[in-house]
Amino acid sequence: MPTTITETPADVVILGVGYMSGVIAAELSDPLLNNGKAYNVVAITKGPYWDYVNDFSTTKYDEWGVGLGRKYDSPLPLQSTTIRNTPYQFALPVRRYTMPIQYHALGHGVGGAAQHYGGTMGRQGPWGYQMLSQTNTRYPGTIDTINPHNDLQDWPLQYYQYEPYYVQWENAHGLCGNYNGSTDNPGSDSSGYPWMSQNYRLPPHPLTPAAQLFQSTVQSAPFNYHPFPHVNALASQPYVNQYGVPVNPCVYDGYCGGLCDYACETGAKANAAYRTIPAAMKNGNFTLVVNSFIFRLDTDPTSGLVTAARYYDPQGNVHIQQGKVFFNGMWGYNMIRIMLLSGVGAPYVWKSDPTMVSGTVGRGMTNGYSPYKGTNVSGTLSNIGGNAYPAGNAGGGSVDIYDLMDDNFDHKNLGFIGGSQIGVGGYPGGGPGNITFAGGVSSASMGGTFKATQKDKYLQTKTVLSSTPFAPDLPTTDNYVDLDPHYTDIYGDPLARLTYDWTPNMYVGATYLANKVKDIFTAMGASNVTVSNTVLPGAVHNDWWGHHLRGGCRIGTDPTWSVWDKWNQCWSPTVKTPFNIFGAGEITNTSGDTVPSGTHVAGPQSYRAAEGIKQYLGLMTPGLVP
Amino acid sequence: MVDQTRREFLKLGLAAAASAAMASGIEIPMFGSQNSSIQTQLNSANTKIANLNARVNTVVGFLSLSVAEQSLLEKIVETIIPTDTDPGAKEAGVIYFIDRALAGDYGQSANMFMDGPHILPRIPASTTTPLSVNPTLSWATNPYIPGASTSPISYIGGSVVTPGSGTQGITATPRVGSGINYQYPLNMREFWRIGLDALQKYAKDPNGAYKGPFESLSATSQLTLLQDLWGDKPTSFNNIRPSDFAYELTFMTWAGFLMDPIYGGNQNMVGWTYTGFNGVNFGNFYGEGKDQKALMVATTPTRLKPASLAQYQQQASGSA
Repeated sequence: MPTTITETPADVVILGVGYMSGVIAAELSDPLLNNGKAYNVVAITKGPYWDYVNDFSTTKYDEWGVGLGRKYDSPLPLQSTTIRNTPYQFALPVRRYTMPIQYHALGHGVGGAAQHYGGTMGRQGPWGYQMLSQTNTRYPGTIDTINPHNDLQDWPLQYYQYEPYYVQWENAHGLCGNYNGSTDNPGSDSSGYPWMSQNYRLPPHPLTPAAQLFQSTVQSAPFNYHPFPHVNALASQPYVNQYGVPVNPCVYDGYCGGLCDYACETGAKANAAYRTIPAAMKNGNFTLVVNSFIFRLDTDPTSGLVTAARYYDPQGNVHIQQGKVFFNGMWGYNMIRIMLLSGVGAPYVWKSDPTMVSGTVGRGMTNGYSPYKGTNVSGTLSNIGGNAYPAGNAGGGSVDIYDLMDDNFDHKNLGFIGGSQIGVGGYPGGGPGNITFAGGVSSASMGGTFKATQKDKYLQTKTVLSSTPFAPDLPTTDNYVDLDPHYTDIYGDPLARLTYDWTPNMYVGATYLANKVKDIFTAMGASNVTVSNTVLPGAVHNDWWGHHLRGGCRIGTDPTWSVWDKWNQCWSPTVKTPFNIFGAGEITNTSGDTVPSGTHVAGPQSYRAAEGIKQYLGLMTPGLVP
Repeated sequence: MVDQTRREFLKLGLAAAASAAMASGIEIPMFGSQNSSIQTQLNSANTKIANLNARVNTVVGFLSLSVAEQSLLEKIVETIIPTDTDPGAKEAGVIYFIDRALAGDYGQSANMFMDGPHILPRIPASTTTPLSVNPTLSWATNPYIPGASTSPISYIGGSVVTPGSGTQGITATPRVGSGINYQYPLNMREFWRIGLDALQKYAKDPNGAYKGPFESLSATSQLTLLQDLWGDKPTSFNNIRPSDFAYELTFMTWAGFLMDPIYGGNQNMVGWTYTGFNGVNFGNFYGEGKDQKALMVATTPTRLKPASLAQYQQQASGSA
């Protein structure tokens, strides 16, 4: 018989245990980082603790179970999401993980979505934090044409203010890379790559021959770009972070990209489970609650403050966890959903007239991934071959440039803003399905002719270059998250509903950028360089948008459009404000550059939020941290 | 002891399958095309019986597919990945991979969200009737939910698929392979049962292009028929979209060719040998002495003998 259990009240209650929550746990549970105060910290997650030694080391070499069966992922029967293109449509639920791939609600358990990401990291440059004001200054009067129903906003802080938090984030997770610019003069760097006060902690992974060719090509005339090795969070050497947590290096045995779902069996790939949660664990005043599904936040009807989190354990018992301050570190839509379900924050209400919209929770969702079947550039290097799958490392081996992103080139009369990080030459790190099924099967995937194209597919005598550049998705008043009126999770609570379609900035930018990449591929000596699948605004609808979100629960400069303030502290609504909840994650970004994942931008926010929570706990009365 | 019991069970199962196969082999021609001569039908039946007998004598038995489904699906997967001078779906045992998948989590849709309402995306776009849906009452009275309602909700855009439109449409490229487009109120085992039945009916349709069981068609006709499914040519397909079923057939066939042998397909790693995939051999599984890091940045490929997950686990436990 399920019963209700009241847990010992805590100082800090963390909702969900992914990347950002790990930082909060490590920073708030350590008395040495809190003037000797031993705060009680409780972190609750719906999934298990994945132990890489026992859970991944002998079972991860299993593309069917891990990559396609998605056995480490959030179970859809527990909760799904519904999706539609416009507010006039019925939203259909995601019924299964797409074969071949549906990046939907990946996070499950300690480490969250980072158990399944490629480790791409880096920094968002100054432009990404001030897209609106920079655009209005440099290209006045253009933004509403570029982005109809525009809801783009600036961040509350600028890049240089986040820089110290980037350093903490990079130290904690042991990022690999090599910053080629100056580290002592913020103004000296012409590459577009953001100034860094400290280089990455570990050297980059070995570059592939294609990456080296790209590097030498783009740094010569006529390009004169500024290539740098791909920055990622897969340790290239043994490492110990600032919390004393030791990290094993990558062993390059693959099955870690694409359809093999990125499970890392040595812990080389950074996520909370192997970097920050172990740090919290050793402090003694941290409690990790796994396999427990948070379904509601209780609020005080007078003050509006959050008083407790309610969760189901696997037996169906309801637990009430009271706390002084709460951190919403849930993945993507779940962060929005728990607030909407609980009446915390001001729910976004869509109107067809963009001036009539109201509320903030669910507002301004954007997507950090390319439009499906987006504008693609391909070419073939006939002199570079190799095993398509000799081993693998999810995100390593490539070389990137920032010269074609942000406002690092003149956008006058181009009809879009921003651009794309262009990278070439990564290791293919999946299994056979990763390559054969990429993009799914079609009527062409049958018969002897197609079979012949698969012979020795992984023993390549040439390299096929491929790039799908696009400019960033921009927030509009028409793309948002709310609660679905029809479908519920296993406990009977409504699912999150996405109303989303690709925005014109992505397409217009893609066409321009694709031709730039075409020039690069041609200069590299590739043959058959072609731009294909040129797509127009509104021409593509699909369901492959469930991941790499930006926005939807944004930080900002004004509580009428943002959920969180400059400390990632809740400040909306302005009456009965739940000041004691903070949040950070991909969706607290306010849009940004086009590095696929928003994790690297959310990371510094988690350190900012940790600082905010520390200050909040010292306030005499609940209110905004000054 | 457990093994012994299991073997006994399999033997029994196979005996039952064999007798059913006999009956089935004789029955099928009786309902076949009237244009085929009796002799052709008898030859076909005899071949079928011989094939089934051969299978009973050599392989591992079925957990889910019926006898009729076995013979049909065997020909389908062999059409998708034919055997030529190299092994195909037949040698890889793709049908066993699919059979086991259908008997397990995949067939039971164990990791799918299966709650209603089940609303199928409507094609073509001409059916633009607004959609009216009663809210699920399970949460409608929940005081926590803003806007909870018990009245029907109307959607003027409905669930109509309108390719190229920016104002309506679920998706321009419906395919069952995408997470949103499998909306059938059927678990995958049912979907396959209904799909295989519809495919066979389409093949046998006396007014259709083929007029005979799929198994009896020429290899060219078999491939053309499967292309018909991809092109949604059959107008009656047991209420599922032919291309949805074609997607699933094609995808699962390739999966059976390329996934680890532990799941029943890719037997003897023929799929990996054919494609040059190394499995868990990262350069030194058989003592080749190759360095993984060096292979990653090489400019020419190195053929490695593949190794499977079971081999890896055996090696890992052996050295532990």
